[in-house]
Amino acid sequence: MTDLVTLTIDDRQVSVPKGTLVLDAAAKLGIEIPVFCSHPKLDPVACCRMCLVEISGPRGMLLQTACSVPVAQDMVVKTATQQVREVQEANLAFILLNHPLDCPICDKGGECPLQDQTLQFGPGLSQLVEPKRLKHKNHLISETIVLDQERCVVCWRCIRYLEEWEDKPQLALFERGGKTLIDIQDGQPVDAKTSGNIIDLCPVGALTNRVARFSYRPWEIERTPSLCTQCSLGCNLRLDTRTHKLRRVVGRENMQVNDQWLCDKGRFAHGWVNDEGRLTMPLVRKNGTLTPASWSEALGLVAEKLQAIKRQHGASAVGAIGSAKLSNESNYLLQRWMRQSIGSNNIDHRDGADVAALPTGLPALAGLMKPQYGPAPRYDVVLLVGVDPSEELPVLDVHLKRAVRRGKTQLVVVHPRQIELTRYPGVFLQAAPGSEVTLLNGLLRAVAEPGSAASALVADASEQKVEALCGVAADALQKAAALLAGAQNPLLVYGPMVARGESGPPLRQALTNLALSLGKPANLAYVGLEANSQGCRDLGVLPDRLPGHAALDDSAAAKALGKLWGCKLPAAPGKSYKQMLDNAGGDIKALYILGANPASERPLWAQTLARLDFLVVQEIFLTETAALADVVLPAVSWAEQDGTFTNLERRVQRAPKALNNPQSKAAPDWMILDHLASAFDAPWSHANAQAVTAEIAAVVPAYAGLTWEALGDQGLQWNASGPAAAYARAEQPTLPVSSIDSLQLTAGTVLYDGGKLFGLTRQMQGVAFGAEVRLHPSDSASLGVGEGEVVTVSSPHGSLQLTVKVDTTVKPGVAWVPESLPGAPVGALLNGSAQARVSIKKK
Amino acid sequence: MMLSEALRTEIKKWMDLYPAGRQRSAILPALYAIQRTFGCCPVDAQNELAAMLALEPAEVGAVVDFYHMLHTEPKGEYHVEVCTNVPCMLRGAGQCMHHFEEKLGIHHGETTADDRYSLDHMECLGSCGTAPMVSVTDRKSGQIRYFEQLESAGDVQKVLDLVAQGKAFSTLERWTPQGDPDLTGRAAGPYRIGGMDQRFLTARVGKSESHTLETYMADGGYETARRVLVGSKPEEVVELVKASGLRGRGGAGFPTGMKWGFLAPAMPHYLVVNADESEPGTFKDRIVMEYDPHQLIEGILLSAFAIKSELAFIYIRGEYYFGYTRLVQAIQEATAQGFLGEKIFGTDFNLRIVVHRGAGAYECGEETALLTSLEGYRGHPRMKPPFPAVEGLYAKPTIVNNVESICNVTHILRNGVDWYRTFGTEKSPGMRIFCLSGNVKYPGLYELPHATPLSELLVRYGGGPQFDEHPFKAVVPGGLSMKLLTASQLDTPLDYEAVQAAGSLLGSAGVIAIDSSQSMVKVARRTLSFYREESCGKCTPCREGTGWLEDILLRIEEGGGRAKDLDLMARITTFIAGKSFCPFGEASVWALQSNLAKYRAEFEQYIAHTNPENDLPVIPIRPIYRPDTGSPSVATDSAFSLVGESPLHRDTPVRAGGD
Repeated sequence: MTDLVTLTIDDRQVSVPKGTLVLDAAAKLGIEIPVFCSHPKLDPVACCRMCLVEISGPRGMLLQTACSVPVAQDMVVKTATQQVREVQEANLAFILLNHPLDCPICDKGGECPLQDQTLQFGPGLSQLVEPKRLKHKNHLISETIVLDQERCVVCWRCIRYLEEWEDKPQLALFERGGKTLIDIQDGQPVDAKTSGNIIDLCPVGALTNRVARFSYRPWEIERTPSLCTQCSLGCNLRLDTRTHKLRRVVGRENMQVNDQWLCDKGRFAHGWVNDEGRLTMPLVRKNGTLTPASWSEALGLVAEKLQAIKRQHGASAVGAIGSAKLSNESNYLLQRWMRQSIGSNNIDHRDGADVAALPTGLPALAGLMKPQYGPAPRYDVVLLVGVDPSEELPVLDVHLKRAVRRGKTQLVVVHPRQIELTRYPGVFLQAAPGSEVTLLNGLLRAVAEPGSAASALVADASEQKVEALCGVAADALQKAAALLAGAQNPLLVYGPMVARGESGPPLRQALTNLALSLGKPANLAYVGLEANSQGCRDLGVLPDRLPGHAALDDSAAAKALGKLWGCKLPAAPGKSYKQMLDNAGGDIKALYILGANPASERPLWAQTLARLDFLVVQEIFLTETAALADVVLPAVSWAEQDGTFTNLERRVQRAPKALNNPQSKAAPDWMILDHLASAFDAPWSHANAQAVTAEIAAVVPAYAGLTWEALGDQGLQWNASGPAAAYARAEQPTLPVSSIDSLQLTAGTVLYDGGKLFGLTRQMQGVAFGAEVRLHPSDSASLGVGEGEVVTVSSPHGSLQLTVKVDTTVKPGVAWVPESLPGAPVGALLNGSAQARVSIKKK
Repeated sequence: MMLSEALRTEIKKWMDLYPAGRQRSAILPALYAIQRTFGCCPVDAQNELAAMLALEPAEVGAVVDFYHMLHTEPKGEYHVEVCTNVPCMLRGAGQCMHHFEEKLGIHHGETTADDRYSLDHMECLGSCGTAPMVSVTDRKSGQIRYFEQLESAGDVQKVLDLVAQGKAFSTLERWTPQGDPDLTGRAAGPYRIGGMDQRFLTARVGKSESHTLETYMADGGYETARRVLVGSKPEEVVELVKASGLRGRGGAGFPTGMKWGFLAPAMPHYLVVNADESEPGTFKDRIVMEYDPHQLIEGILLSAFAIKSELAFIYIRGEYYFGYTRLVQAIQEATAQGFLGEKIFGTDFNLRIVVHRGAGAYECGEETALLTSLEGYRGHPRMKPPFPAVEGLYAKPTIVNNVESICNVTHILRNGVDWYRTFGTEKSPGMRIFCLSGNVKYPGLYELPHATPLSELLVRYGGGPQFDEHPFKAVVPGGLSMKLLTASQLDTPLDYEAVQAAGSLLGSAGVIAIDSSQSMVKVARRTLSFYREESCGKCTPCREGTGWLEDILLRIEEGGGRAKDLDLMARITTFIAGKSFCPFGEASVWALQSNLAKYRAEFEQYIAHTNPENDLPVIPIRPIYRPDTGSPSVATDSAFSLVGESPLHRDTPVRAGGD
């Protein structure tokens, strides 16, 4: 029960919780007090003085700022007296004094609080007859944000966001007095990964979006509530469109997911949506060349060829690859078509069966959040294993920073790189890549009761062994163990980086043991990194799992599905993503690839794909993989079709169609698959994507009731009980044999990757990673290679030409290469395993 | 890497002065060290400092930009700054500046071609009794020396000669031409001190070696502290100070003992001495720190004991370099003697004093801004509540007291509350150091009991009007912020209540006399220039309003005034006063409000005389700004300059209520 305080505002009584600000209490009565600096997501600063109202106090009624004064019992507030009106007029006169009034060409015009307040509270006429003050009008504070210092009203919102949420005060006040302005340090652009949020926060047109600016007037745009598909967090956003073009992306509040924040990739990197290189026609290979064709020709050819191959080589010669970047509807239909029409379980997606995941994702994102007004985070210690939120899940990074700084959450980070979050109190265990199982066993040994079953499993994980294999000192290990053991409610999170390949299952087991030993098995979570990593698993885009995580030999589930689908389900396990691609041209004769680009991942796969009898690629661009296809089916992007996505906390959210391109013949993914199934005598005839959503709700028990209408614009989380967990021994996999002249390679996801889609946003090209390898200064010195030098990095599997970057955050003895670099796939060195030794030679 | 190992070692030494985890406080001393090394604070050096302090580079840049004594471009070898604030202006600072400009062949704001001299205007340097004056900063060492009473071109030449002969920095104590006829560069000693027959706060000023521990102890120094620390409880000291009725000497006059009583129990407590004496017309704390630093230290010892603080800070304005060196010296002496440090006088009480130099910001005299500055940020005020006594320095309970207030504590505890109350009035007990400047014959410091009549100070001590033919026209009773008193109010007793009854405030007891030859328009304009310059920029009314007022006054001064400007200004002032974030807003317009109210006729005459045709101002057209959708933006070179003048006459300012 919160204490209620009753006060009188403009002769009306209102009761609000103790601690409420006068401003918010007035809003509860529908009384608007104008503000510029005050913002519900930021601490009060009371500098704009716009909200001065008369508030009773020991010295009678005094003008005080409603944004900073908390309510008190029997307080009297007057917001509409002559004095208050005069002060509002005067403050607006002050603010407009040197404001350039260039509203006609200001992006904010039409949705500008300064305009609105001038209309409602302003003095009407300017009394200024002096020349206006001049400042910089077109000032880049980063590649993507333009600052107009003349329009700025110095409300500190941008400064406060970067300080209170990002903990990176890269914008500050410079000069002083009337010359005061907001700026960056000369030569140090803002690089906080969620910096674009300051544009949404700016109450005037001072901060504008460089990608979007001058491309719309706010009253002309259509606004579609949608969500971001650039990572697995599922941040809510709004797509602003006009004349068939995506003009702008802004944040949308969802207090269960992203508060109202977006990362800069989600906000700015959407140039690909309207890129002219998009596929608009089906393509069919004729005489070796991909040639435009009609839909009926293309689909007819696909059905004919696949049926022929199925007849000749059996269903197991055909495979399908789904995509965690695409919606539940698309992926669900792909696996249904594969299982029903082809009759094979050869269905998977990248980081699908090749990764040792867990089925349920994070318990709840809200448990990690510390909003401005709201409860403290539920988790007091968070263990991150092989997850780097600032590069992989930037808004989660913001949540964690906030939880640490305002919620007293502590972090234990296990990562081969000194990731950004290690700057907070807590423990950083910089384990050598691949040695995480030993490290976790060592942690369990320190945490578990001596003599217990858990302890017996890890008797050999001595401190000496951890130190020798992982390179982690005993005191750090002890500190981490103490933190975990002392935690009330620890959360353990791991990501694909450490879950891939043969080391995945033992790592998952080691974590399970640790979580069990801490008494919180349900607090162990695997997080995938793509927008629909969770949905793909939920919907059975896996060779060994049916929709709803049912095993293939779960006869009840198989029977129920078979009944709904009107077919008998194949029983034999299918091939995984890696197996299908490795065996392409061998056992696998034909592949249907939906929104994936394996040819860019590894040169080997480009070769195997070329050996297929028949390759179908359903894509929005002519990717490296699509270029190898026999038939290319043009799809539309997430912004152009209805769909639902399931984020890393199992929240199913809607992404409605926001625009379409009337010039294009590209079609929604679900519709293409629907038509294809018809060609296989499976007349599904879904009327629309919502019909598919409804079918999923009927087929997948956990998704029961999650229809399009029920999801609303904030989504719903499906209920899950924690994974059934049991102790078992987790064996450290063998690591590649080290040698003096080799380094251990590790690859990682980066936010500003050099991938094809990212590169299509011109304004962001400057921040994208190049083809580079990062080395600790000690390694670069001993190898004799310096910053900027081009080197040949070779493993037993292949070699790459990369530029050296010296980076103290990389563990000595490790070479770190970001994934998805343009023209330099790290997969060339890794051959599908997570680890490799590489040698580095000057070019 | 720009910062050498030696420089990094020095910066680390500064960082060690502050409590663990509060190393950001060392940002100003570190920047001083950087400026001494490079002649300014280059951005690369700032960025390296940011790394040392675990800050973002912008945080350091923002601090550098806020403080006037820190530069991003180097000044000349000798940076000459002429105080042109009102007290100096009244005594010919304009001429002084003119002489420097002629002799150096540059305008203010410029540097000589040989990089020897830079010349600038400066706001009040706390030398109002010895106007006109300049401060000279030696770029190499960062040392600052004051050259005062420069009344003629010849005096100015002597300063330049001293610099040329390398004698200018033989000592850092102030220099006057009168005190050094042989041009050796020697010190002039303290400026004029007077007042009641037996003086207390200024008792030793003027004695030889007055600043040493020996002199202070010969006068019974530190005996009170010994007696109190050994024999009293902190609570007893607080009660005595409450009973004495001592009120703060910084300006607001808040009862000191009551302030101490508000202290929250959470430990640690901090004592912060406000030695950021920057109110134009005030120069009293300076003399105590320069010539009797031990008096302050004993006061700190007693006050810190009373509030249970084991770490005290003296925040001294950056320009008071000589006072700073004297304080540091005195603290070393006192520490060596065991009066500071651990187990003082054999008790369990420990005390360390850190002297922290500001860097040129009037706003840092406001207590919350001072704390923000001491924490290593720009000197912006912060919200009250929480008051410093609850959450002050580093969010710990903190008492901020003025230098003179702290000095009073010693005398109260030495001589007793009853003795103290024999001075002054019931509500304004005790003695006061009045700072007399402007158009009087004998400007200086006069220690007198509260309630001494203004006329007695002006005539008996100040010798009456500077020129007999020019009688007094107006008097500022408590520092430049305070409302003006007219010549008819000279019998006002100088105590808190009486001055308030006369329509002003006693403030910092900086009394500035203005004679009939002075233009009240110029006084108003110079006053607003000061507030525009020193506004911290945090809140809208102060940031925008002070500049607007200055613009209007500049226009009037230059002959573009309109009769209606007076009402417009009066209206603007009402929307700054009481609407701003901190008391600065009020302070910035009180003087103008009273000036306009009491000398309106003079403004009207000035406007009628200088703008007889009532010409309307000409506003240049704003440049036209076109979206540049086609080409990428260029971050630099994006400021547009005005394009010509336009025939557009935009007038008819309309009063908000309709005209």
